[in-house]
Amino acid sequence: MGSDGFIGVSIAWRPAWKLRGQAALILRPTLDAAGREDGRAMSSFVVHEAGPQTTVQDLGRPGYLRYGIPPSGPMDLAAFLLANRLVGNPDNAAALECTFSGPRLEMQGESILAVTGAEMRVTVNNLEVERWATVPVKAGDIVKLGAARRGVRAYVAFAGGIDVPLALGSRSTYLRGALGGVQGRPLEKGHAIGLLPPAVSTPPRRVKPELLPSYGDEVEVRVVLGPQADRFTREGIEAFLGGPYEMTGEMDRMGARLKGPVITHTRGHDIISDGIPRGGIQVVGEGQPIILLVDRQSTGGYTKVATVCSFDIGRVGQVKPGQRLRFRAITLAEAHALLREERRRLQEALP
Amino acid sequence: MRFLPAGDLAVSVELGDEISREVNARVLALEYLIQQKGFPGVLETVPTFRSLLVYYDPFVVGYDELVASLTALIPEARADVLPHARRVEIPCCYGGELGFELDAAAAKIGLAADEMARLHASADYYVYFVGFTPGLPYMGGMPERLTIPRLETPRTKTPAGSVGIGGTQCCIYSVESPGGFWVLGRTPLRLYDPASPDPILLRAGDHVRFRPIDRAEFDSITAAVAAGTFRPRIEDGSVPPLPSGERAG
Repeated sequence: MGSDGFIGVSIAWRPAWKLRGQAALILRPTLDAAGREDGRAMSSFVVHEAGPQTTVQDLGRPGYLRYGIPPSGPMDLAAFLLANRLVGNPDNAAALECTFSGPRLEMQGESILAVTGAEMRVTVNNLEVERWATVPVKAGDIVKLGAARRGVRAYVAFAGGIDVPLALGSRSTYLRGALGGVQGRPLEKGHAIGLLPPAVSTPPRRVKPELLPSYGDEVEVRVVLGPQADRFTREGIEAFLGGPYEMTGEMDRMGARLKGPVITHTRGHDIISDGIPRGGIQVVGEGQPIILLVDRQSTGGYTKVATVCSFDIGRVGQVKPGQRLRFRAITLAEAHALLREERRRLQEALP
Repeated sequence: MRFLPAGDLAVSVELGDEISREVNARVLALEYLIQQKGFPGVLETVPTFRSLLVYYDPFVVGYDELVASLTALIPEARADVLPHARRVEIPCCYGGELGFELDAAAAKIGLAADEMARLHASADYYVYFVGFTPGLPYMGGMPERLTIPRLETPRTKTPAGSVGIGGTQCCIYSVESPGGFWVLGRTPLRLYDPASPDPILLRAGDHVRFRPIDRAEFDSITAAVAAGTFRPRIEDGSVPPLPSGERAG
């Protein structure tokens, strides 16, 4: 997916969930299922089925891109934030990100959870419960998320947040770098995962219905052109903005490879390697775009035609393979105004 | 000098059009000054050969204001504001199964394998920046005689620690990954160690020297690294940022 023509290294396109099971060494549960030294009863859960790729994420690990370590964090920030806010957590509390299909968990104590994001049917002891709302659970309850009918990634937040050790200041999992989360790995069957004590008691509540996202058939993604838009022909830019592009199967937390109209360069696709912003859209030799996401390589040697606006990264993270998206260019000033609006919308999403 | 918006949360500051120590030193100096002065709203920075990607919070500092502040700072961003660089010694076992392309690379450029290894270990390498994968150094300063085209068909797997060359550059693969550089040897050091609180060995601006080691020493250092008892040789502040007149590539 990634490659840097300059230095001749590349990162193989291996969607990370296909890596599961290769490393048979793995982890045994490292976290205690109950009690803490302070005597306060701690809640936790045990993983019976992990799902295709379920990771622990908080807001991410800023500050290490200059060493080549990506920020990680949730792919769909808005859905992640609302899950945390529903259960009364600070925004940076760690939650689960589930991909394509969810896990089956057994609670080892009581808690309040909330599931947001992709449309995965959620059951507690086989009874369907509401998504985008608080769900009280108790010891012995079996929580299960089904396959995503729409969208790709769902979030499960627990009151208090998930208790895994901080790695470079963050609990986010960076799979390719084996960093953070549960020993740098996705959840696996048998893991026992602790929860931190909730700071506040959480009233029952749900996200206002008018603020729920819809994961439509064709997704519009807003971009700011550049940093290297001047390295493409006018026809190339028109093709890019005309679209549509189809999501391929080569999509994970690092990036998403798309297929559609060819975006033509003026003079080759190589640049002197530079930093890759979140949402940067690289156009490689064949003229096809790759959107680089939260676990992206920090630098690269390909031209970037445009950059997905931060508030639309989450939409990209919910596009299934085969689904289509279209790009719309906006100015930087428009992007900043929309970012402000998005922040206000999220503040008003809960009663 | 160019400012290129990179989405709504970052701007790329280009200070030149070439890969040179001089331009790169100004990039590192600009990053250093931003860190020293504590720029409100700047969240993080990523230096590369000739540009600095600046991530910012637009609710703290607007784009125009940020660009104006950076424009005012750039004339101060000279190599001589940088603290002296570190010199890091990287033990490297050349040839054999660890340096599995040394013989082919030597044949390609018409040198004896041991002469190629000797030449490679004789140079003072300069780390332009670290990136792509965690801890991977982009290094210049290789003897011109070792210039070599990249592999025609990149290999699918390169072991972590492999020391590779291509074009006029040298790198050390920090994690197992595909690659298009010729692998001359391998270091037992970990350039990225996720289990360590300080997981990255090399930094932008560092100077690197390779110390040839034999297989027995490679194995003993590997064991010491695994046990957490090995301390790499790092001399702090030993190299001035840009010796006068030097424009090494």
